[in-house]
Amino acid sequence: MMQRKYANEEVDVVIVGAGAAGGVLAKELSEAGMSVVVLEAGPFRDPQKDFASDELSMNDLGWQDTRIVDGKDPLTMGHNNSGRGIGGGTVHFTAVFLRFQDADFKARTIDGVAEDWPIGYEDLEPYYSRIEKEIAVSGPKHFPWGNYHGPYPYPEREPLSPNAYLFMNGCDKLGIRSSVAPLAILSAPFEGRPPCINRGFCNQGCMPDAKFSTLIVHIPKAIKAGAEVLADCMVTQVLMGKDGRVRGVSFVHEGSTYEQKAKVVILSAYVVETPRLLLNSANAQFPNGLANSSGWVGKGIMVHSSQDVYAKFNDEIRLYKGTPVLATTQDFYRSDPNNNFVRGYTLHAHGARPVGFAQGISKSQGGPVWGERLRETLLNYNYYGRVTMVGEVLPHEDNRVTLTDELDSHGLPRAKVTFSYGDNDTKLIDHAVGKMSSILEAAGGKVEFVIPDTAHMMGGCRMGDDAEASVVNSYGQTHDIPNLFICDASIFVTSGAGNPTNTVMSLALRTADYIKEKAKKLELTSSG
Amino acid sequence: MTNFGHYPSFDVMKEQDEWDDHTQSIVASRLKPQGNFQFLTHAEAGMLNRICSILVSDQTPEVMNFVLGHIDQTLHKSPGEGQRKTGVPQAPELIREGLKAIDQGTRERYSASFLELDNVRQTQYLKDISESKAEPHPIWSRIPQEPLFQKLMSLTVEAYCSHPKVWSEIGYAGPAYPRGYVRTELGQVDPWEAKREP
Repeated sequence: MMQRKYANEEVDVVIVGAGAAGGVLAKELSEAGMSVVVLEAGPFRDPQKDFASDELSMNDLGWQDTRIVDGKDPLTMGHNNSGRGIGGGTVHFTAVFLRFQDADFKARTIDGVAEDWPIGYEDLEPYYSRIEKEIAVSGPKHFPWGNYHGPYPYPEREPLSPNAYLFMNGCDKLGIRSSVAPLAILSAPFEGRPPCINRGFCNQGCMPDAKFSTLIVHIPKAIKAGAEVLADCMVTQVLMGKDGRVRGVSFVHEGSTYEQKAKVVILSAYVVETPRLLLNSANAQFPNGLANSSGWVGKGIMVHSSQDVYAKFNDEIRLYKGTPVLATTQDFYRSDPNNNFVRGYTLHAHGARPVGFAQGISKSQGGPVWGERLRETLLNYNYYGRVTMVGEVLPHEDNRVTLTDELDSHGLPRAKVTFSYGDNDTKLIDHAVGKMSSILEAAGGKVEFVIPDTAHMMGGCRMGDDAEASVVNSYGQTHDIPNLFICDASIFVTSGAGNPTNTVMSLALRTADYIKEKAKKLELTSSG
Repeated sequence: MTNFGHYPSFDVMKEQDEWDDHTQSIVASRLKPQGNFQFLTHAEAGMLNRICSILVSDQTPEVMNFVLGHIDQTLHKSPGEGQRKTGVPQAPELIREGLKAIDQGTRERYSASFLELDNVRQTQYLKDISESKAEPHPIWSRIPQEPLFQKLMSLTVEAYCSHPKVWSEIGYAGPAYPRGYVRTELGQVDPWEAKREP
């Protein structure tokens, strides 16, 4: 049995999942004096002892438990788009810290596709500024795109990586603007943490603590403020009271089941596990799953298209050196009437280590690469440069999370994740692959491989003003159950065309403010 | 192992004292012989040894030994596959039944077990599997061929590219904590990185 602080008490808030959103919520709400319990399915790691400069052994930073995948374009899950353990995905993300742009919130108004968000850029702007300052985001003095042009709290990273310089050279030759990426990675000391040493293993966990994660920043502050953070605790059910309000959750730790009572339950378990938990918590009152009167729980999931283009150069590039993403362009971010598609994409120079490199190449477009060709490519590993895309993918009702008949080790139905690209998505990808190829060629390379890939997940519990067509309001409060909140990327209405973590954390700050305000007015009471 | 790449004299393990202890112990353990498989039978290991060598076109015994050990451990005890397509058997069953089908398939088509075939025919049979074209049909009716090929590839490649001998060969300087990389302009190398040899 675990040592517990709040075992038999009803706490103010229980948070399910200690990732980007859960970490922020835990810190904010506990510092406001609320009693908080955080339940995280994965372990509590020590960066110094548990991380390693190694791809294979760090695969378990992702959610490896099997998901069934389906659709025309079945997704690669695991380390590709999820985290497991305190810190969640922030432990192994590339730390690219972009804001969404005003147009991201208005796809319906501007382009007649998807839906508008119930909030706009201006609603999130103060939260973007707050979170960027809180973790000392490094970035350029002038960022050329979107609604915010800098300066960032900390100076831009310097030096960059060989692949980033190559990318910027290629962009320069074509008249494409490029910039050092805004990163949640320190360029100078901050709060006892050192600046980055260009070790290059952001995706395997940062050992020097130069890269932000909620594991090293928000969770320790939450614990200091009194939060109880429990690792290796898989939440299996959200518990309902008789009055139609939630009363807590049940969770499994080392084979035993426990309950945690709470006035407010917040799900921050990301795009697959949040809907899965709501669906697995179905009961007589909510036979289709909790908070699902609209039928939208699990629907409208999105990824970012993330095709990689590899080109071979006459000189060594060495993709392993330095922070994976250091240079970016958003010149193709917004809808352009000259295109045969709407919306857009971000392009990044993106490093690669041998396992990621070979796994990608082996799944190359046009048939698998293996045997002698793979071996020859590997021997020339140091001569390849790479550009990757973060492309907007439009939401579709058929792209969704459902439950299967197959059970996991807890006896819970596994999630099934169905995904197919739409017509606009594939046209956008073709355009981006063309641009990535021309940048690499302008830099002197010869394009050899295009790798179909995806990154990030969004949607599945989308926000909206209309309770019949959305799951939560803009604060993440479910339309159906006033003391049940959802706060993670599952509440996104559209995917945007840039890395989502800044937006996830800003939404979490906004939800935290809302809950604090409600608590002050004593509007958040437990199940009777 | 002969180093066939651009960096014949580079040995990444010479740098291991510069690495943190955790990384050092993980990487060094890959050089130790893996024995006593817990999932794979002797016959299965023999077939996999040949198949994996073809998939990466490298027969270096100590590297293949690590690849097999990794596959054995993953099939014996894994936290999950990340994802599995609808209708595809779980990895342990997929590999076990897949190896059976490969052996029976070549016996029916060529009157010889997979291991008795020459390299050209072995490679061709794997290519057929990668394109879901392997015959005879009745033997393959229950085994989805492309997913089998993809699973074999993925397990092989992730282990192969994690072996320090391969790192040395491709000129991957690898682990860099606590020292980091300092010279990162195009064309620059830190003194301890692999240097191209003419």
